[in-house]
Amino acid sequence: MLKKLYLVFGMGVIALYGTASWFGWEVANSGSHSRLGVPFFYSGFHGGK
Amino acid sequence: MSELKANCPSCGGSVVFNAGSSIVVICPYCRSAVARTDRGLEDLGKIAEVAESESPLKLGLKGVYRDARFELTGRAQMRHELGGTWDEWYATFSNGWVGWLAEAQGRFYLTFYQPMQAGTTLPTFDGLQLGEIIAQIPAQSPLMVQERGRATYAAAEGEIPYKLTPGEVFEYADLAGKNNAFATIDYSIDPPWVFVGSQVILDEIGLGDAKPVKREARDVAATAMSCPNCGGPLSLTAPDQAERVTCPNCGGMLDVNNGKLKYLKTLRPPENAPSFVAPIGAEGAFADGYKYKIIGAVVRSVTIEGIKYYWHEYLLYNSMIGFRWLVHSDNHWNFVVPVNPADVTPPQYIVKLQTATYNGKQYRVFQDAMAVVEYVKGEFYWRVEQGETVRAIDYVKAPEMLSQEISPNEINWSLGTYMPVADVEKAFGISDLPKPWSVAPNQPFTGRFYYTWGMLPLIGLLLVAIVMLPMTSITRTAKNQQIVLPEFTAPPPTGGPGQIQFSEPFDIKANSNVRISVQAPVSNSWADIDVDLVNDQNQEIESVNVPVEYYSGTDSDGSWTEGSTSSDATVSSLPAGKYTLRIEGTWQDWQKPMPIQIKVEQNVNRGVNFCIAFILLLIMPLLGIMRKLSFETARWKDSMFTDSGSDNSDDD
Repeated sequence: MLKKLYLVFGMGVIALYGTASWFGWEVANSGSHSRLGVPFFYSGFHGGK
Repeated sequence: MSELKANCPSCGGSVVFNAGSSIVVICPYCRSAVARTDRGLEDLGKIAEVAESESPLKLGLKGVYRDARFELTGRAQMRHELGGTWDEWYATFSNGWVGWLAEAQGRFYLTFYQPMQAGTTLPTFDGLQLGEIIAQIPAQSPLMVQERGRATYAAAEGEIPYKLTPGEVFEYADLAGKNNAFATIDYSIDPPWVFVGSQVILDEIGLGDAKPVKREARDVAATAMSCPNCGGPLSLTAPDQAERVTCPNCGGMLDVNNGKLKYLKTLRPPENAPSFVAPIGAEGAFADGYKYKIIGAVVRSVTIEGIKYYWHEYLLYNSMIGFRWLVHSDNHWNFVVPVNPADVTPPQYIVKLQTATYNGKQYRVFQDAMAVVEYVKGEFYWRVEQGETVRAIDYVKAPEMLSQEISPNEINWSLGTYMPVADVEKAFGISDLPKPWSVAPNQPFTGRFYYTWGMLPLIGLLLVAIVMLPMTSITRTAKNQQIVLPEFTAPPPTGGPGQIQFSEPFDIKANSNVRISVQAPVSNSWADIDVDLVNDQNQEIESVNVPVEYYSGTDSDGSWTEGSTSSDATVSSLPAGKYTLRIEGTWQDWQKPMPIQIKVEQNVNRGVNFCIAFILLLIMPLLGIMRKLSFETARWKDSMFTDSGSDNSDDD
């Protein structure tokens, strides 16, 4: 059971990696105004400082 | 066949020599062994009736071997000096051959007299070494001395093709070779006679039909008796093979001599030894597909560095198969079957590690110690003794353990296969066996999946990364412009507004990350640049901060530098569209304008996503490998032999 779960997890990681690569999503090193605080997806932030 | 009818010289009854090769016939009336000689018939003395056995064979059975028909015409029963009997059936062939079909512990060996070349000298009985290859005997594969011993002609019936003297003790050696090759040297004659053949199954020699009839009938056979010491009832499951039995009532050890019980002594289990966990009489179905009954149990021990280690061995019996062992040590279990010694390549040192090879597999030496019988309970096919000692050498290759037991007259090899407790419980239909707390010498490591098949996701990730590389790694420059931020008229307050400039508009494509690089002519100073990516269509903003600082100098260690005149920041993909950069900056030398080179790139391969995915997928294989290393360390910590092959029994 644990083995199957691990394989499912592994496939999930690969799928996420592939999707992120395709859409250009990336764990960014900037973009501090992200609304979610996680500079991964485009935040769509409106406004300045 | 040349038939000879005569009268028994002892009782006058009619005896018939049916086969021309028969030398002795057992008188069916008075059980005299009657030999025909040049001078007439000779009475060799009375011989006992063969003990009731559960053999599928009987006189008169007809078979075929290598297209030659034969008939079983005689039978002799030999008693081993250490107890136990075996049968030898004499097969008279229609073409004049005489074969010896030996039957011992459910196995059959068909051999034929092998004349030796003139001048060939065989080793003497006393000069025979166990394990020695006897190259003088012609055979398909080298024959190795497996056992040497003395036996007595105990009983016989029918016609015998040699001069069998009742009660005569003779010396013999059994040899085994690869592919079931088998040979016997009979030292009762000088020079000794050699018989060469192979282990056979009854089907191979046209006697397959003989097997089921009697064998199935004996499956539940048990002989009820009473203990001569306490009078309590006891029973024998394999009465034809039992040599020792312990009384379940008084614990007395009894010698079984053709069904007659003799009290020897009362046994007490050693104080420190763990108790048996499986009862005598328990029946269980094992992985080989057969059902076995526990008929005996032994406590054995080895003493290493003054400490005695105990384990249990349960003797299993199935009338169709014979005997097997179930070994219980530190709550680990092994199902043990005997193996042909000739199929084992003798131990050898390979890169200082002592290994033995069986079935193409190499087994690594684990322990070499004297094993002592401490206590017995139940029924045994040999004359087991308290204190009986053999040299026991174990070789392991999980889940198997190849064991060699060396006694003065015999070398035995056996193969144990690790059985999880759950399998033993399932076999016996119980559920309360104690669980092991340590790693057994041949316990298989069950976490192998995580660093074998578990590497599949990692490989998958690499493949996906290779496929994605052309799509994600061809960098495109969206904007590269020099912008001059004007000087400040007064020192800018800390955290206050900086000078602001805008770039020319440029296009950003979707589904690509965005890297903003800033190069500033800083020298032993800093510049802090905030860049807003402003979407010209909807005024949405993504802000990044790009600090640039560069310092250099010279000290006692020489020149040094710190930082760089360029820096960058990357954000995830943005919606496609026209963008303008809003650049706001402060810098140390505020009195001077700050010309900066700003570059916007897309599709920059940073590898950060790959690294994170790789690390995530590496965790389980890495944990698996660490567990494996820890498991192997635990397995070998009790071994007398280290990786380097040196004996570390003196180590702590």
